[in-house]
Amino acid sequence: MRVLIVEDEKPLRDSIVEQLQQHGFNVDAAADGEEGLYCGREYALDLAIVDLGLPKLNGMELIKKLRAEGKSYPVLILTARDKWQDKVEGLQAGADDYLAKPFHFEELLARMQALLRRSGGWAQPVLRCGAVALDPRTQEVTVNGRRVDLTSFEYRILEYLIHRAGEVISKGELTERLYAQDFDRDSNTIEVFIGRLRRKLDPDDSIKPIETLRGRGYRFALQRESAA
Amino acid sequence: MGPRSLSTRLLASVSILLIVFFGITIAALDFAFRRVTEQAMHDRLEAQMLALISASEEDSSGGLQPAPEKTEERLKNPGSGLYGEILRSDGYPSWRSNSLTGTGLDFAVQLPSGQRQYRQLHRGDGSPVRALSRSIAWEFDNGVTRTFIYSVAEDLEPYYAQLNRFRGQLFGWFGLLMLLLIGSLAFLLRRLLTPLRRIEHEIEEIEAGRMTELGTEYPRELLGVTTNLNTLLRSERERLARYRNTLGNLAHSFKTPLAVMRNLLGGSNGRELAVAKQLDEQVGRMDDIVKYQLKRAAASGGTGLGTAPIDVRTALEPLRAALLKVYVERNIDCELVVAPLCLFSGDREDLTEVAGNLLDNAFKWSRGKVRLTAERLTDPTARRDGLRLIVEDDGPGIPVDERARVLDRGARLDERVSGQGIGLSVVRELAQLNGGTIRIDESPLGGALIEISFPAT
Repeated sequence: MRVLIVEDEKPLRDSIVEQLQQHGFNVDAAADGEEGLYCGREYALDLAIVDLGLPKLNGMELIKKLRAEGKSYPVLILTARDKWQDKVEGLQAGADDYLAKPFHFEELLARMQALLRRSGGWAQPVLRCGAVALDPRTQEVTVNGRRVDLTSFEYRILEYLIHRAGEVISKGELTERLYAQDFDRDSNTIEVFIGRLRRKLDPDDSIKPIETLRGRGYRFALQRESAA
Repeated sequence: MGPRSLSTRLLASVSILLIVFFGITIAALDFAFRRVTEQAMHDRLEAQMLALISASEEDSSGGLQPAPEKTEERLKNPGSGLYGEILRSDGYPSWRSNSLTGTGLDFAVQLPSGQRQYRQLHRGDGSPVRALSRSIAWEFDNGVTRTFIYSVAEDLEPYYAQLNRFRGQLFGWFGLLMLLLIGSLAFLLRRLLTPLRRIEHEIEEIEAGRMTELGTEYPRELLGVTTNLNTLLRSERERLARYRNTLGNLAHSFKTPLAVMRNLLGGSNGRELAVAKQLDEQVGRMDDIVKYQLKRAAASGGTGLGTAPIDVRTALEPLRAALLKVYVERNIDCELVVAPLCLFSGDREDLTEVAGNLLDNAFKWSRGKVRLTAERLTDPTARRDGLRLIVEDDGPGIPVDERARVLDRGARLDERVSGQGIGLSVVRELAQLNGGTIRIDESPLGGALIEISFPAT
C-alpha cells in the first residue's frame, strides 16, 4: 500500500514515516502543502494523511484541489486545533476521517486500515475471500483456518491483491504501490513473489487463489465473502 | 417608569415655557387693555361732568339745573346707562337726571369743596356703574356762594362686555398660536430626531441579531457616534476572531510537540524506554488540559452584539453529515429533529463545539441509533429566543451516580468519568459560558440523554 504523509513538523513526519514503513507501507512524505499537492497528483496512492496546518498551501485547500482533480483515494486529516468547525470543514472538503493531535500511532494505523479497507469495498475488519482470510490489524493470514507464515513483502502483495479482490492488477501497478521510489524495479521479482505466495497459500494447487492474466497482470480470484 | 424620551422632555419643557410666556403676555395685554378702556371711560365721565357744569343754570329755589337744550340726550332717557345728579352740599337734591328713574342708584356722596372722586357704585339691581363726583363752589348772581356736588355715572356692563370680548379674542388667538407653535415644534422635533430614532431602531435590530452594524447615512453630528459604535462592534468581532486564531496557534504549537513526543514514545527507540507508558500518560494529560482550557478560553461566551443568530438546522446538518461519514461503518441511524425557526443566539463555533462533542459521544456509544432534537425556548419578554438541544443514543448510558461527577464544576480533569473523554466537560463549560444549563438523563432510546438549554434572553 502506498501512502502519502503531508506534515510540516519534521520529527513527527519522520517518526510516522518510520513506523509506517515498519508496518509494510510504501511511504511518500511531503513537508508542505505544495509538495503534498505534487505528490498527491503524481503518485499512485492508496491513501493520504494530511495535516491541516501546513505552510504554503493549507491542508483544507490541498484536499479540495486533489478532490477537484478527481483523486479518490481516502484522505485522513490530522489537526492540532481540534475544533469541530475545522473537522466538519475538512470532511466537507473531501477528507474521510480525522485524527486530533497528539495521537497514538496505533490509532492512526487503525484508522488508515479502516479507510483502506473501505476504499477496497470491504465492510468487515477481516478480509475473507473463499478459504483465505487476512486481518490487516494483526497481519495474520489463514487458509481454511490454518495460519500461513508470510514474509513482509509476500504479505504486502497479498494484502494489496485481496483489498482489490476481483480486479485485474498489473505488475507495474504492484511495483509502484509496493516498492519505494528508489527501489530497483524488476518485474521478475514480482513474478517470483507471486509464485511463492501461490505455493504457501495453496500447496496442493486446489483453491487457485491468484490468477495470472497474460500480459495484463494478476487477479485475486476467490469470491469475496460479504459481511456476515 | 423609566426616564422619559428626549422628545417628550423637550416638548413638555417647551410647552411649559410657552404657557408661562403666553400667560404673562396675556396678563400684560389684559392689564393694558383694561387701563386704556378705563381711562377712556374716565375721560368720557370727565367730559360729561364738564358738559353738565357748563350747562348748569340757577333755578328759582337756589339750586342748579342743566339747561334742557344743553343736556346730553342720554341723561334724559331712562335706562340709557348714563346718569347725572347735582346735589347741594346741604343735602338738597338740586337735579337728578331722568335716566336715573327706576335704577335705584344712589350717589350718596360727601365731598369737601374742590375735590373729585371716582367710585364704583351699584344700581338697585346690583349691576355696577362707574361714578365721578366733583364738588364745586358756585357763586350765585346774588353773590352767595354755595357748594354743589356734581355726579355723573356710566353703566359698566358694556365695558365688561367689551373686556370679555377682548379677552375671548385674546385667549382664542393666543391659544391657536400656542397650538400651532407646539404642533410645529413637535413636527420639527420628529424631523430632527429621526436619525436618533433610526439609531434606536438599528440598535434594536443589532441586539436581535438582524443587523451587524449601524447604517452610514447619518447627519454629520451623529456620524461620530455611529462610526465609533460600528468600529467598536467590528473590533469586538475581530478581537474574538484574532483571539481565537491566537488560541488556535497556541493549541497548534502545544500539540505538535506533544504529537512528536507521543510518536517518538511509540517508535522503535521509544518503546525500549522503561517509562514510555508513564510518559505517554503524561502526554495524554497535557493534551487534555490544553484541549479543555483552550476550548474554554475560545468560547465567545454568549451573544456578541452584531452577530446574527445562527440557523440551527444549517449549523447541525454538516455536523451530522461529517459524523456519519466518519462513523460510516457503524451504520448509525442519526435523526435530526429541528423545530422550525430554531435559532441559536450566540456564536456558531460555540454551537458547533457543543453539538459536535455531544454527537461524537453519542455516536461513540450508540448501538445504532442517535437522535438530536433542537427546540425553541420562547419568552414573550425576551428579545431573542432560547434553544434546547437534546442528544440521545441507545448506548449504555451514564450511570446515575456518575452523572453528578460529570457535571461537577469543581471536578478535576483527571478525575473525570472514564470513557466520556473531556467532551462533556467542554460542553458543560461552553453551555455555562453561554448562559445555558446541562442535564443528564436516560433516553427513551435506552442510552444517555444530554440536554442543553440556552434560555431566551
